[in-house]
Amino acid sequence: MDDDPLDESLRAAAREYHRPPDAPREAMWREIERARRLDRARRPGPRRWIPWGAAAAAVLALGIGIGRMWAPTGSPGPTPGTVAARPEPAARVNETAYRLATVEHLGQAEALLTLFRASVRTGSQERLASATARELLATNRLLLDSPAARDRRTRLLLEDLELVLAEIAQLTPQATAGDRELIREGMERGGVLSRLRTVVPAGTTPTRGDL
Amino acid sequence: MSDGRLTWNPHAPEPVDDRELIGRVLAGDARAERELYDAHVDRVFRLVYRMVGDSHRAQDYTQEAFIRGFRRLADFRGDSALSTWLCSIAISVTLNGLRGLKRAREREVGLDQAPAIGARPVEADPDLKVRMRRAIDGLPEGYRTVFVMHDVEGYTHQEIATTLGVQPGTSKAQLFRARARLREALADFARD
Repeated sequence: MDDDPLDESLRAAAREYHRPPDAPREAMWREIERARRLDRARRPGPRRWIPWGAAAAAVLALGIGIGRMWAPTGSPGPTPGTVAARPEPAARVNETAYRLATVEHLGQAEALLTLFRASVRTGSQERLASATARELLATNRLLLDSPAARDRRTRLLLEDLELVLAEIAQLTPQATAGDRELIREGMERGGVLSRLRTVVPAGTTPTRGDL
Repeated sequence: MSDGRLTWNPHAPEPVDDRELIGRVLAGDARAERELYDAHVDRVFRLVYRMVGDSHRAQDYTQEAFIRGFRRLADFRGDSALSTWLCSIAISVTLNGLRGLKRAREREVGLDQAPAIGARPVEADPDLKVRMRRAIDGLPEGYRTVFVMHDVEGYTHQEIATTLGVQPGTSKAQLFRARARLREALADFARD
């Protein structure tokens, strides 16, 4: 088929198609360098060795712990009017705890999706990715049912994330590259990863110690 | 403006030792990142610009490709040249960006009125270059990508296949169909 080239005049015209200017090296490098500085500040170690399962399990335990710690007890809660007028200290702490747990969860989800996207072609980590996604899915559903989901943007992100996590959770080692690509395309289409990165600013993911 | 294929040879040996550079980048050497960027940015930018035809978008997509490339560098296994691997990321970023742009335009003007990506206003008496540009813009995404990489930028079918994650035969078939469509669209310019 290479021996069936276009007529020379057409080839010459084709070579003029979107003829590129010189690359704006410095301008692009400034943006890349800025992003890389944020990356380094956020993740000091090589990311490929993140223990996915351990990290997800820690988040799950953290979420459950927070839920138990701040769950309503037998005492009657404040009326809606009272809450609006003067938030109880416990309610404020509760809200903060859920917010921190949400940020932690979204940070771990972002790590999983980033690693998953990077392994779409090789497809070597389905079992681990699937197990991690299942654990994150459980946390995700807890958070969707929690006060953390009162914020509209957070709720929409958790709902979209749930779809992606559910798809990854169903992956098997027999999954084809096409299966993985479909999930990746779904992530891209919904902008899930970029939204996660917006919600979880670099370097602000809390740790258990912060709580 | 740079000068098309006359000054650019995509098959030229890469001027730096990529393995050594990759090792330094993974060890956290920020200067090595710049060296790696300098070694490959022109090729990546050229390809992205050819696909989008717009400086700002080409800049955005090239930046994003390198940011993703650095983040994933630990997963680079050396199955292909680093430049090919970077180009595959760049093509993925670019095609996703163009699809998003196309969807946004379709939402704005409706499917029937949506112009092709990069299409310019109609001119009274378009010359061959203008007609060619419109014809290439009008190709389906797969045909256009292969045609631009092969006939415009000079990539081999093997390089295209590696970059796009397809078989070389697929690349050849798409190029064949792209050329056929272009011949048809530009029949009045073709020589007997």
